[in-house]
Amino acid sequence: MAPTKERPKPFLIPKYCKGCGRCIEACPQNCIMLGKDIQPETGLTPVILNLEKCTGCGMCIVACPEPYGLAPSPLKADYELTDPAAMFGPRASDAPEPKEIPDKTIPLPQLKPMVLKGTYASTIGALLAGCRHFFGYPITPSTEGAELMAKLLPDLNGVFMQAVSEVATINHMYGCGGAGLRSMTFTSSPGFSLMVEGISYMIGSEVPGLIVNVMRGGPGLGNIGPEQADIKLACQGLGHGNTHCIVFTPSTPQEMLDLTMLAFDLGFKYRNPVIILCDGYLGQMTGMVKLPDHMLQPGIPAWAVYGDNMHRRNLINSIILSEQDLEKHNEHLNQKYATIEANEQRADLFHCEDAEVLVIACNIPARMSKGAVQVLRSQGVKAGLFRPITLWPFPIKLLKPLLSHVNRLVVVEASNCQLENELRLALSHAGAGHVRIDHLQHYGGILPQQQEIVDTVKTKA
Amino acid sequence: MSKVIYRKFERHSHGEGIKGMSTHYCPGCGHGLAHKYLANAIEEAGVQERTVTVSPVGCSVFLFYYMDTGNTQAAHGRAPAVAVAHKLANPNAVVVAYQGDGDLGSIGIAEIISAAQQGIPITVIFINNAIYGMTGGQMAPTTLMAQKTSTSPHGRDRLMGEPMKIAELMAQLDGTVYVERVALFNSKERIKAQKAISKAIRLQVEGKGFAFVEVLAECPTHLHISPRETQKWVAEKMVPIFPLGVKKDVEKDPWFSLPAPNFDTQQMSKVIGASSEAEPRYAKGFPSHIAASDIAFKLAGSGGDGAQTAALLLTYAAIVEGFDATHIPSYGPESRGGTSYADVHIAKDEVLSPSAPSPHILIAFNTPSMVKFAPQVVAGGTVVYDSGVIKEIPKLNANVRAYGVPFTEIALSLGKAVVKNIVALGALQAATNLFPPETFLNAVRISLKEKCAMIPVNEEAFQRGVKSCQETGAKK
Ligand code: SF4
Ligand code: SF4
Ligand code: SF4
Repeated sequence: MAPTKERPKPFLIPKYCKGCGRCIEACPQNCIMLGKDIQPETGLTPVILNLEKCTGCGMCIVACPEPYGLAPSPLKADYELTDPAAMFGPRASDAPEPKEIPDKTIPLPQLKPMVLKGTYASTIGALLAGCRHFFGYPITPSTEGAELMAKLLPDLNGVFMQAVSEVATINHMYGCGGAGLRSMTFTSSPGFSLMVEGISYMIGSEVPGLIVNVMRGGPGLGNIGPEQADIKLACQGLGHGNTHCIVFTPSTPQEMLDLTMLAFDLGFKYRNPVIILCDGYLGQMTGMVKLPDHMLQPGIPAWAVYGDNMHRRNLINSIILSEQDLEKHNEHLNQKYATIEANEQRADLFHCEDAEVLVIACNIPARMSKGAVQVLRSQGVKAGLFRPITLWPFPIKLLKPLLSHVNRLVVVEASNCQLENELRLALSHAGAGHVRIDHLQHYGGILPQQQEIVDTVKTKA
Repeated sequence: MSKVIYRKFERHSHGEGIKGMSTHYCPGCGHGLAHKYLANAIEEAGVQERTVTVSPVGCSVFLFYYMDTGNTQAAHGRAPAVAVAHKLANPNAVVVAYQGDGDLGSIGIAEIISAAQQGIPITVIFINNAIYGMTGGQMAPTTLMAQKTSTSPHGRDRLMGEPMKIAELMAQLDGTVYVERVALFNSKERIKAQKAISKAIRLQVEGKGFAFVEVLAECPTHLHISPRETQKWVAEKMVPIFPLGVKKDVEKDPWFSLPAPNFDTQQMSKVIGASSEAEPRYAKGFPSHIAASDIAFKLAGSGGDGAQTAALLLTYAAIVEGFDATHIPSYGPESRGGTSYADVHIAKDEVLSPSAPSPHILIAFNTPSMVKFAPQVVAGGTVVYDSGVIKEIPKLNANVRAYGVPFTEIALSLGKAVVKNIVALGALQAATNLFPPETFLNAVRISLKEKCAMIPVNEEAFQRGVKSCQETGAKK
């Protein structure tokens, strides 16, 4: 038989005892008693130990809920009973300083253009951008993207997961993005509504991820026709609190691919989710898509909670109790938003140089508008198309200089003024709210058509 | 002291004063014990370096103050969804979701059930103290009958439903390998609790499955009794409703592993179907005899007519010839058996408006499509229709030519009804000379490269469409 080790008796630094008394009933030798003296630091009454009969059974230690409450005393110790460093040792966390594992750009051979529908183009863009994790819940008219992901991801050793809901989807993305990886989802308006809570958490915790919203008719269940009814939600309503995301509005399958790739880069650059808004038409529409000359193998950012020792120190979190700290965190977010506003405004300008009237439109209505502008030009009307590619930040820096020669804006949209409101807000902040604004709006799955746009520009002149 | 507990709680009020080494929990709270047993279990298993702990919303929202592991704080109820994603992101990580009764049993019930059914190996520690702690003593899904809380001030009654037995529920689900309910109210139960939590971590480390430990815990603050009375209350009132013990313990072989994500360029090209071989071009130039720079098409029929496939082939053919082209399908319920129509544009440089309210060319597969769309065809345009199905031609705009070809009959004579859309493309080619026949045939062959056996019959269908159209000619 091995010699029985002397079992350590417990010790207690009174200020870390909450006086709950669990240890009292735990001790078979009745060594522990309720105390009488209130600890000035805590206002609580620690227990008193009388270890004469103590056998070192350790039951009191197992019973103590406080990490620095009852603990085994160092054997043969000459410790100072009130110095935690002497008692518990000087050890701080031995987790290393996290370092970034950088992304790798891998050149692709020259590939011929593909013929893809919008959601497919976005899917392929995501794969090229190094996304290997997809989470989603089926909803028309976005599901083809998810279906293609389900088909292709296994061959790239990726993970496709159909979540129990859109709420779960966005929280899967929170976990995966928090681990430092690129993840995405396809959804459509009602599903996007369900995700905004999670988007607020992602923004608060600075977790990137891509949400592609193939917008459909609303409110409520609405229909599955194309609308642009979530501009308000994406630009001004991303859940509770001080939230913003870059919001892209592609208008071709090509842009679905290009902006998907860009969205991942910017999402990780700014540690923020990114939203692509497209309408049901663009999701379904097939067109030519040129492939990029590179693909990406993402690394792991220094801040990620990847689940390895390098990143053990990290925390993904949005609860900040102290008012001062939370204000500071919001100031940090504001700074980030300001940087994005300064650097990421994007728009496509068509015949804008000398235009007197500008049509403002995005997504598929921008294509009808482009056709209309061409017709108007052929009829001698000095029309141009200003097509925002980012809705947040609104590309006001590109629009404002044009207002020296433009006397009228005509907003063409498949929603109830949501694009126009973004425009008006941006103009107002830029001190350019005086310009005349007319509009053409459709809802419920009907898109403004080219001839109508021509007529609107002409009749309202 | 477990080394998985931070030596100093820097996140607890910046670690200042007593808070640097003291928890934020009330005296007598069960959370501290569960944390301690979890930390011990992680240390025992030797997995501290690769553990991610997911904190919930509730009193234990600040679990990340204490656990010297990777930490993620999740939205209310969503910890299992977050934890599963952490595990999928890094299968080597050991992921623990820690939740209270409101978090897991109420707002997050969908997430926990789906995660447990799915069975990806994570560990869930569920603290059941029969009350909402953080929000101040409201009724929980596990509140006992007649128990008074601030939202059941007269006691929980039938209208509020019976307390929810989560461990039993978890044991019913296929993905769980181990479910046990433990308690903290005396030394014997505490030792069992420590063992259960250790086992739940070990099963994950071994890759065996989803492990779940329900811990009956004390919340003296909101029971408004002393810590010792609360322990007694748990033992006497809770245990009869929530019996302790192992609810499920099945032996499973380790099954969970994921290969490392692939970033090979060749594999990528293969997977996305990209190739670097240029396709041959046959057209001499843009078919400006139809329209100067942008040709609009409508293809319409019933669900099974193949209008969408024909539209895609047309789009593809045009793009291969170096033009821009778009295709918009009708989608959703109407494509399930009802009418299915497609808008196609082919443009010399760029398609502007991709919809086709007034097409240059219509391909109609059935009478409703003919009735609806033929009158929209622009003056001088072309209608190609299935003359075996459509008996009447509606009034057309000036100089619209209509070509009747029996798409379906020809397809049936070839023994394959599904090729009627290819017959239609043949007829379209003959009627309009949009592109040379080879352009279409090339597109058909590429689209069938995975079903080579189908190529001859499709080629034959195309040729028969061409021939039939040439023989019949246009009706005015
Ligand atoms: S070690 Fe055992 S005998 Fe000693 S005080 Fe603790 S419980 Fe009592
Ligand atoms: S169990 Fe710990 S905190 Fe509670 S009274 Fe005993 S020493 Fe104090
Ligand atoms: S309120 Fe209840 S659950 Fe919350 S810390 Fe206090 S005792 Fe624990």
